Amino acid sequence: MELIKKILDGNEASAARLISMIEEGREEGYRAIAALFPHTGKAHIVGITGAPGSGKSTIIDKLAIKFSEMGKKIGIIAIDPTSIKSNGALLGDRVRMRGAERIEGVFIRSMAHRGYPGGIAKATMGALYVLEGLGKDLIIIESVGVGQTELQISSVCDTVITVFTPDYGDDVQLMKAGIIEIGDIIVINKSDMPGAEEAAKDIASHINYEKKDWQVPVILAQAQRGEGIDRIIDALGSHLEYLKKNNPKGEYRAQKLRKLMFLFLKEELWVRAMKKWIDRNEIKGIVDMVENREIDIYSAVSQAAGIILPD
Amino acid sequence: MADDKKRIKILIAKPGLDGHDRGAKVVAQALKEAGMEVIYSGLHKRIDQIINIAIQEDVDFIGLSIMTGAHIPITQKLMNKLKEKGITDKMVFVGGVIPSMDIPKLKELGVGGIFPGGTPLQETIEFIKSKAQKA
Repeated sequence: MELIKKILDGNEASAARLISMIEEGREEGYRAIAALFPHTGKAHIVGITGAPGSGKSTIIDKLAIKFSEMGKKIGIIAIDPTSIKSNGALLGDRVRMRGAERIEGVFIRSMAHRGYPGGIAKATMGALYVLEGLGKDLIIIESVGVGQTELQISSVCDTVITVFTPDYGDDVQLMKAGIIEIGDIIVINKSDMPGAEEAAKDIASHINYEKKDWQVPVILAQAQRGEGIDRIIDALGSHLEYLKKNNPKGEYRAQKLRKLMFLFLKEELWVRAMKKWIDRNEIKGIVDMVENREIDIYSAVSQAAGIILPD
Repeated sequence: MADDKKRIKILIAKPGLDGHDRGAKVVAQALKEAGMEVIYSGLHKRIDQIINIAIQEDVDFIGLSIMTGAHIPITQKLMNKLKEKGITDKMVFVGGVIPSMDIPKLKELGVGGIFPGGTPLQETIEFIKSKAQKA
C-alpha cells in the first residue's frame, strides 16, 4: 500500500492522514494498520496524567527537548476533552509545547476525546501504531486528566507519570481509587509552591501500600524552569529496565493488550448489535415501556438482552 | 454513543510578531461551540511552523489571525509555502485587521475567506461549514 510505504519512509502528512482515518473509524484505515503492525511494538509508550493546569504539557515539552538531544525520535499524542454540548473541541496543548514543536522529528498530534464508547483508547492505539511506523522510539500520551479515561490510557502505556501540584487537596483525595494506583512515576510539579515537600511525603506514604515490586519515585519538579526533568528521564529509564527485567518476554504488555482487546470487542459488539436491533419492534416495545414507566430498567435490560443474545 | 464520524478540523494560527490573540481565541471558541475541532497554535508562529502543525494535525482549514497590518506578505508567504509543499487540500482563511482595499489582493493569493474584525461569528461558521461540505 502506498500510504504505508510513505509512513515507513517518514512522511508526516501520510501518518497524520492515517490517524484521521482511524479517528473516523474507516475500514481502509484499519486495513492500513494491519499492514503497519509488523513494524510496531518497539517504542517506549509513556502516558502522562494529572489535573488540568498541573503542567503536563510543559513537562512533555521539556522531556521531548531533552530526549531529542539524546537522539530519540519523539511522538506526542495530546488528548483534550470534547464538548458534551456541541461535540466540538478546543485542542490547546500545543501552545505549551513551543520548544518541542520546533524540533525536527518531533511529531505532535492533538486528539479530541470524542466520547468513544470504548474509550479514547481506540483511536489512541491506532495513533500509536502509526507513530511507531513513522519511526518514533518514544511516544508520550497526554490525557485529559479526569476520570475513567486515565485507566484506559494506562492500558496502552508502558509507563504512566501522574502529575500533582502541592495544592492537590488532602489525603482523602489520594485514598480514592485510581489516582495514585496508575502512576509508575509521580511528579510534584510547581514545587516552588508552599507545601511541596509535605505533599511529596504525603503522597509517598500512600504509594507504598499499593505497589511493592516497583518503588514508585516521587519527583519534585518545576517544569517551566526545567528543574526535575533529568530525574524524570532517569526514572523513565529505570522503569523501562524494570519492566524488561521482570518480563523478559514482554508479559507486562500481554495483560494490557488482553484488556484492550476485550474493551474494543465490547464496543464492536455493541455497535453491531445496535445496527441490527435498534429499529426492531421487539426492542422498541421494551424501550417504550421504560419511557412510560411501565417496567423498571433492570427488567427492561434483561428482556432486551434476552432477545438480542438468547441463552 | 459511537462517535467516529468526520469532524471539521481547523487550525487557528497566530503568525509572526503579533501579540493580540483575543480575537483568535474568540473565533476558536465559537468554532468549537459550532461542533468543530479547533487546534490553537499559540502566539508568534513562523510560517513553516504553521504548515507543520497543519500537516501533523491533518486539518481541513488554516485560519490566520493577523492584527499587525502585515496580512498580505504573511499570507503570500504561507500560500507560496503550501504550494511548494504540494498541499492543496487545506483551505486558508484570514481574519483580523484587514482593510477592505486589501481583500481583492488576498483573494488573488488564493485565500478562501476573509473575515475582518467585526464580522459576525455566525458568518465565519457558515462559511466553513459550506466549504467543508463541498470538500
